[in-house]
Amino acid sequence: MIASRRRRAAAAGYLYLAPAAALTLVFVYWPLVASTALSFYDWNLVSPTWTAVGWENYRELVHTRAFWLALVNTGRAAAALTVLTVLVPLLLAVAVLRVKGWWRNVYRVVLFSPTVISMAIACAVWLWMFHPLHGVINTLLRYGGVEGPRWLSSGSSAIWAIILVTVWKTFGFNFVIYIAGLLAIPAEMYEAARVDGASERQVFRHITLPLLAPTTLFVFLTTFILSPQNLFVPTQILTQGGPNEASNNLGYLVYQLGFEYFRVGYASAAATLIFLVLLALSAAQFYFAERRVHYGR
Amino acid sequence: MCRQTRVRLIFAVFVTLLGLAFGGTVLAAEPITIEYWHINSPTFGGPAVKELVQVFEAKHPGIKVAEKFQPGVYTGLMQQLQVSLAAKRPPAVAQIGYNLTAYAAGQFPHVILDKYKTSDPDFFKGIPDNIMTLGVLGGHLHGIPFGVSTPVMFYNPDLFKAAGLNPDQPPQTWDELQRQGAVITQKTGKLAVYLQQPNDEWIDQTLIWGNGGRPLSEDGKHVGWDSPQAIEAMQMWQDMVNKTKIAANLTWEEGLQAFLSGHIAMCLTTIGRQDHMRRNASGFQVRAVPVPRFGSKPLATATGGNVLMIFASDPAQEKAAWEWIKFLLSPEGATIWTKGTGYLPPRAELATDPRYLKPFFDEAPMMKAALLTFPYAKPWVSFPGSRGLEITKILIKAREEILEGKRPAEPILKEASQQASALLPK
Repeated sequence: MIASRRRRAAAAGYLYLAPAAALTLVFVYWPLVASTALSFYDWNLVSPTWTAVGWENYRELVHTRAFWLALVNTGRAAAALTVLTVLVPLLLAVAVLRVKGWWRNVYRVVLFSPTVISMAIACAVWLWMFHPLHGVINTLLRYGGVEGPRWLSSGSSAIWAIILVTVWKTFGFNFVIYIAGLLAIPAEMYEAARVDGASERQVFRHITLPLLAPTTLFVFLTTFILSPQNLFVPTQILTQGGPNEASNNLGYLVYQLGFEYFRVGYASAAATLIFLVLLALSAAQFYFAERRVHYGR
Repeated sequence: MCRQTRVRLIFAVFVTLLGLAFGGTVLAAEPITIEYWHINSPTFGGPAVKELVQVFEAKHPGIKVAEKFQPGVYTGLMQQLQVSLAAKRPPAVAQIGYNLTAYAAGQFPHVILDKYKTSDPDFFKGIPDNIMTLGVLGGHLHGIPFGVSTPVMFYNPDLFKAAGLNPDQPPQTWDELQRQGAVITQKTGKLAVYLQQPNDEWIDQTLIWGNGGRPLSEDGKHVGWDSPQAIEAMQMWQDMVNKTKIAANLTWEEGLQAFLSGHIAMCLTTIGRQDHMRRNASGFQVRAVPVPRFGSKPLATATGGNVLMIFASDPAQEKAAWEWIKFLLSPEGATIWTKGTGYLPPRAELATDPRYLKPFFDEAPMMKAALLTFPYAKPWVSFPGSRGLEITKILIKAREEILEGKRPAEPILKEASQQASALLPK
């Protein structure tokens, strides 16, 4: 009787899961399998014939300058984004929560607002702010006696311009998550620490940081994994990966190969490689970070 | 079944059939809708497209045209087109840039238009042969040349005056441009010239043709970016940016904006922009002349613009698409198009016809620069084969590297040409 009830409950559980599981299978795992299979073919999206090419797409990819440049740029961007959108929002969230009353909300709104602006519109605005001759950034720099770079058309600054826009755009989201994480830390922990005579620095080091670790891990992983995607729109609107591949990155490279050159098999090979690299990095991060995370139980 | 019931039944069936037949007629009379894909943004002929649709629909109540702007110029349109073809939902008609015609004709299912030469001979009268050939590949007509544009040099006469130069005598050769440019930069602190740098190599091909080179060898087996003429022309561009520092190295949007706001004295781009230039130049009256020549060599420029290709597979859609194309090239359609963009009319006689474009040409002095250039128009070479789009990108990247100024033009162009030539069909 109990067993059958339990079985029924389990069946109901699977039934509840089924819609989400089916959608994930169809829209996440099936494309993953299909794109991996496609990476062994040469196909241009419209031709009725798919030509099997074995490992040729992968071989060509690892011998291409664009691929390695995109890889390096993605690494750079991921490192910069991790520092700027994981550490800085944390410090700001701690600082903002110390502000009392009305101003706290003002800061929260101001810091979060870039997140709700459409990326495409924001990029169009940045496009003019970056203008080397009469954009606001270089005009301000000129007042300070510095000649700013040609942000978007110079090989050495284009990738940093894109990183800057991406940081500005994604920063607020992490900030809000940290605020929520900080507010979830029980107040009695702080009170107990202060009663024991802990300094502010000690409270931050021994209470805030460890209890915020799950939030930090979440922010860290999502920032890192989403960075190739977050870079896409600014790259497309501001530089199209140029000049001469200087601001290209892996996500944009896949788009270029697939939808500018229409070499869909080749693009799938690049996508599969990115997937493997990100999978390995995420697994490593999760493994190492998990050891230092306290879930407060 | 009694007789009365039978009669009722027959009557009911009759009424139903009548209804179906009537319904069918109503359905047949419903207008057919065709999609038209174009690159005409609101600042680049978009309003003209809307006007063309309005006039056409008033004349053809049976056809509705759903016009759709595609961003990213011709390359962007091609990307969307390839995806729509993969999904088997292509537009009925699309503008294909001359630089991409070979790729589209070779890779995409489309309608070969030869048959219309016999069924509609009147349509082809008045379109010069040298223009019609822009849509011919392998002896077949794949598209109808629609937008025909030439590069011209727009300039800001106020900056010439400010530098003590005569604005009525702008440079006619590259040597003159560099001399006058140096004076402008020195006297006004502004940059002298910007050569357009969008995601294509149209102006690069113009420089190569102008210096007596060829973008592609005659047998189609070798990309001509490594010829001495091409190297010399691109080296000149690099020197103007990096050595004499009179030319701007900016993205396309930045360059255009800088010219319109008076930060750059001269801008080499398409005559298709003349309406936009005229309306948006802030605080000066923009003028235009043909692009500079290389010394005593004759003027030669790559022809910009597009052909109209039909991708509809349904006969009714194809028929409607052909009607739309015929309208676009009719004297009335071409007049709206030229006035709204600055593209030259494919039917040359319209320019001198007082009923159509003569008044416009009389009042738009910048169009004279395009008319003067027109006889020297060379093709905008489209690289054949399935890797044609990659070849274009290789050449764009080479230009970007040249303008960065870290290496001279020669090795960059030699490497790029070798890489690009390897992708041409053998």
